[in-house]
Amino acid sequence: MSHKNIVKENTEARIIQLKNFLKANGLGDIKPEDAVKMAFMSDYETLSPSAKRGYVNAKQFFNAYNMNISGEFEYHHVAWRSLFVPTEIMYAMNLIPYTTEMVASQLAMSGSSSERIETAEASNFSGDLCSFMKTVAGGVIENIFPTPDILLTSTHICDPSAKYAEIASHIYNRPEFVLDIPYGIYDLYMNRKTRDDEERIDEAVEYVTQQFYEMIEFVREKTGLELDEEKLKQICIWTNEARKWLDEGNNIILYERTSSKKGIKELDYAANLMQTWGTEEIVDVYKSRYEDYKKNQHEKREITQPRIAWFHLRPYFKNQLMSYLDEKIEISGSQVNFVFFDELDPDDPVRSIARRTVLHPGYSSVMARTSIAIEKIPEDTSGIIAYYPKSCRHFHGGAIMENEMFKTAGIPILTIDGDCVDDRGDDFPIVKTRVDRFLKAISK
Amino acid sequence: MKKTGWFCTYTPVELIHAANVIPYGIRSDSKAEHEDVLLGDSMCSYVRSCMGGALTNVYDDLSGVVIAHSCECMRRLSDGWKFRQNQIKPKLIHILDIPKVVSESSIKFFASSLKRLKNDLEKEYGPISDESIRSSIEKYKITRTLFKEIDDLRKNENTSITGIEIEELVNDYFAIPVEVFNEKLKKFIDSKKDSDSPDSRPRVMIAGGPGNKSLIKTIEESGGLCVAENMCTGLRAFAGTYGEEKDPFDLLARLYLDKTPCPRMLGEKSREKTQELPQLINDYKVDGIIYFSMKFCANMQMDWALLKNHTNLDIPMKVIEGDISSEINEREVYSFIKRLKKRKKKNES
Repeated sequence: MSHKNIVKENTEARIIQLKNFLKANGLGDIKPEDAVKMAFMSDYETLSPSAKRGYVNAKQFFNAYNMNISGEFEYHHVAWRSLFVPTEIMYAMNLIPYTTEMVASQLAMSGSSSERIETAEASNFSGDLCSFMKTVAGGVIENIFPTPDILLTSTHICDPSAKYAEIASHIYNRPEFVLDIPYGIYDLYMNRKTRDDEERIDEAVEYVTQQFYEMIEFVREKTGLELDEEKLKQICIWTNEARKWLDEGNNIILYERTSSKKGIKELDYAANLMQTWGTEEIVDVYKSRYEDYKKNQHEKREITQPRIAWFHLRPYFKNQLMSYLDEKIEISGSQVNFVFFDELDPDDPVRSIARRTVLHPGYSSVMARTSIAIEKIPEDTSGIIAYYPKSCRHFHGGAIMENEMFKTAGIPILTIDGDCVDDRGDDFPIVKTRVDRFLKAISK
Repeated sequence: MKKTGWFCTYTPVELIHAANVIPYGIRSDSKAEHEDVLLGDSMCSYVRSCMGGALTNVYDDLSGVVIAHSCECMRRLSDGWKFRQNQIKPKLIHILDIPKVVSESSIKFFASSLKRLKNDLEKEYGPISDESIRSSIEKYKITRTLFKEIDDLRKNENTSITGIEIEELVNDYFAIPVEVFNEKLKKFIDSKKDSDSPDSRPRVMIAGGPGNKSLIKTIEESGGLCVAENMCTGLRAFAGTYGEEKDPFDLLARLYLDKTPCPRMLGEKSREKTQELPQLINDYKVDGIIYFSMKFCANMQMDWALLKNHTNLDIPMKVIEGDISSEINEREVYSFIKRLKKRKKKNES
């Protein structure tokens, strides 16, 4: 199909899809343009850093349905993105990333993920599949997501995400490009000893660099969109600035103290998963977060609440656990906000993005990623709470080894087997008992 | 003779063989999947069986293992194996990353990974010459050719070859030296060449990943005949076309990556799988498909959803979801075979 026809089809489809999305969220009586206006009623400048993050995400979300923030039509080229595909190149090609896992968590927040999961399970998606992807599969069946112009996926970290994109590509009849990211390079990088090891790392970076160039050509061929090289340079500069502010904010909460109310909002930055890397707005979000923490920074004082480092994500559906924890603990850091990568090189952007992708510590052995945490967690951390969805083979599957390593290092850890978007098995009283026991143990 | 274990049919066993070591395919027969207390219960039963086996000394007669990074569960198996390295006897552990897409660059990258595998094998077993790799390639080429011959015989409507016989052969392939196996294949072909007899049983294709050892038996005891196993312990173990590459690593990289794809594969290669299915159904004259989807394998589960929801095939399909060593629900299989029989009878009249 020509891209002209794709645009025509998408324009018509997205009108229906936005209506369907609103209906699935109990907003079927509201006109789409009014829903958009309602989402952007507050002035951006007056928002808290966390709300600014939400604003940027919401703007991109509605853009994907061809709506600008005034509720007017504006066509956007949308790239369906699996969670770990870098976004900088997409922005430099005028593509809006649409990250399905993020939408799944958004549906969970509005209490409408379980219905989508049930739709998927009734349509041959197995019960033990990743609940994020089941939410997405259900949403696609119900036609609530915007038809993409193109799908850009990658093989690293998460199997179901890339595998589901293949199904989505088939359903929407849109082209898909898959980036193959070699495994084990971060482990090699951490333990490199020989010239041969260095060469292998360079070879992996080169392999992924070439694939990025192939992806750029693929997008150009399928959509007619060109890579703006000057824009990519600027985007890399924005990523570096955002990275700096994120890191400085992290340093305050990890190594200093701030009275700024963070709570679970700190977890929602989920910086390593965000699709906003490479936008000017995300620089402001992380800068505002830093300034907020800095303004409220104070001397270390006697700690009244245990300082807990949080691993992985949180339940996004309405739950009692997180508000309970908000009262009981101070979240001193979040694994998903950890700045793991070096600055990008604006003069060699594609290669430096490839290097960051290949050296993602999340795509390493449990031993490597746990070692980083043991090294980075400040000594005054009381313990770790790891919240792992049982359907996540990558993280949940390593939990026992991780536990052993932390215990050997003298860091108490509580692993909660839960779910992020599927509330059907949520049992707060049982989890509360485990949390209370853990907090009591670390207070001793 | 020393043995080195391998787990996934994307592992070029020719390299292990070239090290003068018997490549030993690790199946789901450790009987210790419940002994795995390291990886947790969200892992597939194959990986749990392997980890449990390693922790209970089942693989002590191996001198090493090559763990293919073929999926997220295998990734954790490699972690577990290394994590408990001091309790597990096989000394050599090599993690072999397998690309999920097929392109000239992925083949080149995989070839380089194979050179690293060779280097690790050499550290344990001594020098491996290009000549010995070529000689191993030739031996496995014979295996593939012979298996292709058997496959052609199975395409015949009146074939006397049963799925159980093939399963036994595949079990042998995993365990015995290729030279002995090739002789066995030749004898098997000779015994089957002119033994066709009319057979009205519904012809079943099994698809999915590593099979459940009770499945073929249950299908055939229920009155069906397995004619193709589109799985790691079947067709996919012997698939592949030899290219013209002079460099043995390039040749092996292409041979393995470009073979009939496993559900783990993505992109164009994965699409090939769905596109080729009607041809396979036609070639093997398949009356119905049983898809064995292993619990906790996201790749197979997604693959089934794609097949069932979006692939228009003119024959009945059934999914059986289970563990690799669990009992098969005989009634479920029996009623499917009964359905195929009725349909076949109706089509014939």
